[in-house]
Amino acid sequence: MATQKQGRSHQLLQILLYPLDWLEERTSAPGRSGIVGGIKYFLFRNVPSDISWGHTLGSAALTAFIVQAVTGVILAMYYKPDPNSAYESIRHITDDLWGGWLVRGMHRWGASVFIILLFLHMGRVFLYGAYKYPRELNWIIGALILVLGMLEGFFGYLLPWDQTAYWATVVGVNLQATGPFVGPFLGPVLQGGHDIGPETLARFYSLHMLVIPGALIALIGLHLWLVVRIGVASPPWSPIEAGRPQPGPPPAERKGLVTPAPRGSGVRKR
Amino acid sequence: MNRRQEERRAYYTRYKQDVKTRGRSFFPVAMFHDTVMSLLVVCVIVALAVIWKYSTPHEDPSSSGWLGKLYDEKADPGTTNFVPRPDWYFYFLFYLLRIFKWPESVILGTVLIPTILIVLLIALPFIDVGRERRPLRRPVAMTAAILVVISMGTLTYKGATAKEPLAAENLVLVPQWAQKQGFADNPVAVDGAKIFAQVGCMNCHTYEGAGTSNLGAPDLSSIGKTSNRGVAGFADYVSNPSKFGNNVMPQFQDLGADNLRKLGTFLQSSGNCNPKSSNCPAAGGQ
Repeated sequence: MATQKQGRSHQLLQILLYPLDWLEERTSAPGRSGIVGGIKYFLFRNVPSDISWGHTLGSAALTAFIVQAVTGVILAMYYKPDPNSAYESIRHITDDLWGGWLVRGMHRWGASVFIILLFLHMGRVFLYGAYKYPRELNWIIGALILVLGMLEGFFGYLLPWDQTAYWATVVGVNLQATGPFVGPFLGPVLQGGHDIGPETLARFYSLHMLVIPGALIALIGLHLWLVVRIGVASPPWSPIEAGRPQPGPPPAERKGLVTPAPRGSGVRKR
Repeated sequence: MNRRQEERRAYYTRYKQDVKTRGRSFFPVAMFHDTVMSLLVVCVIVALAVIWKYSTPHEDPSSSGWLGKLYDEKADPGTTNFVPRPDWYFYFLFYLLRIFKWPESVILGTVLIPTILIVLLIALPFIDVGRERRPLRRPVAMTAAILVVISMGTLTYKGATAKEPLAAENLVLVPQWAQKQGFADNPVAVDGAKIFAQVGCMNCHTYEGAGTSNLGAPDLSSIGKTSNRGVAGFADYVSNPSKFGNNVMPQFQDLGADNLRKLGTFLQSSGNCNPKSSNCPAAGGQ
């Protein structure tokens, strides 16, 4: 009776887990795990036991980015990127649409929160010296994310097509035009002509919602992959900092300390 | 293989070993911390949006709440009372442009310093190659970081509090200019002065002590005498400065030929009409 029950619940579990097994089998290669195995590894991988709230700033920035992506997609459904209707569509979103002010407000303020969190995250990594070997590449990717994040802000600033947006962009584009060699060409290329007009708005819109976000998503993916693969650094002042050479005891003795499960071996000896 | 490479490889191997043996699973504790932080971020963003909306007076949605206006006036390339204000994280660049004056050095603020900052940021792991991670034992890195934070903070604050002249304030000055410069009898020049005061020229140029010197643009109080391009010449220049090799100043061809002629008359009058010289444009405005 009991075994039958166990057998049934086992069967039920098998049925429930079948889609996961199906997915795993179709995303894995012999000897290498697939999507399900990857997620399991992500969730149950070990991290240093002394990590703290400081280590949450990266995922906080990721959350802000996701908020930007979601609210941005919703705004794109109602926004009209041409000078004759851009401003009116923003007013329509803000004043008439149900919850429109909230979505636009979250997108607008989320941008600042995202930039602030990037700076805080960068400050934390700097303080911990976590940009050093073997994490140099991830620091570089992070720096590119910061630069692209700020450019995203620059291109998005014009979209409401109000006075502040327009004139800030006039100044911004003219500043870029002071650059040597490419400067004089950069202005007309960005503007799509000699003035800020319909072509400029379309260009900025395309850069703001396709090109830069695409690049950002790719870089963030790479950044996270490296974080998981290499591992996060312990706080350098932690007494149990992972990787710190143990002071005092000679190497032979230390080996015993790091070898797992001394308890188990003791049992077997007895 | 050199010693440093050996040392850091040993460190990384030891790190992986330590994490494997003494670390703990990401799920649930670390993940819980990340989740709490993420929820906090979403709450802060929603709160900012709510404060932005509900601190704006209902009776006048175009006025400013605690977090600024919901929307500004629609963009108008022709006339304005504009404040070219970028988003806050560009304030430091914005202020750099007040320090470096054009034309010789504006490139320092617009191109050189930002490029150096980006290169330094990206190159940091290759500049600071020591293995030491404890902040107190990295005095050079920490001092540099503190200096960067202080200077960026100061520039951001200065950029945020920099006051742009408002068109309405400049407009009041036009009769004084007309008196002082001696073009009060020429209505075309006076109209030109009003355009000058309103379309944003004074966000970069100074005139008779008013306005802001931005991007190092020159004082225009006696530009008619020093440049002497003539009415049509000035109109031409203002409509498209890049034609004359000036890539910093915006184009103003949207003002239209009539307004540009008035502006040209005003500029040509500046410095030429008191006392009246042969270069002072005639009152007819031809």
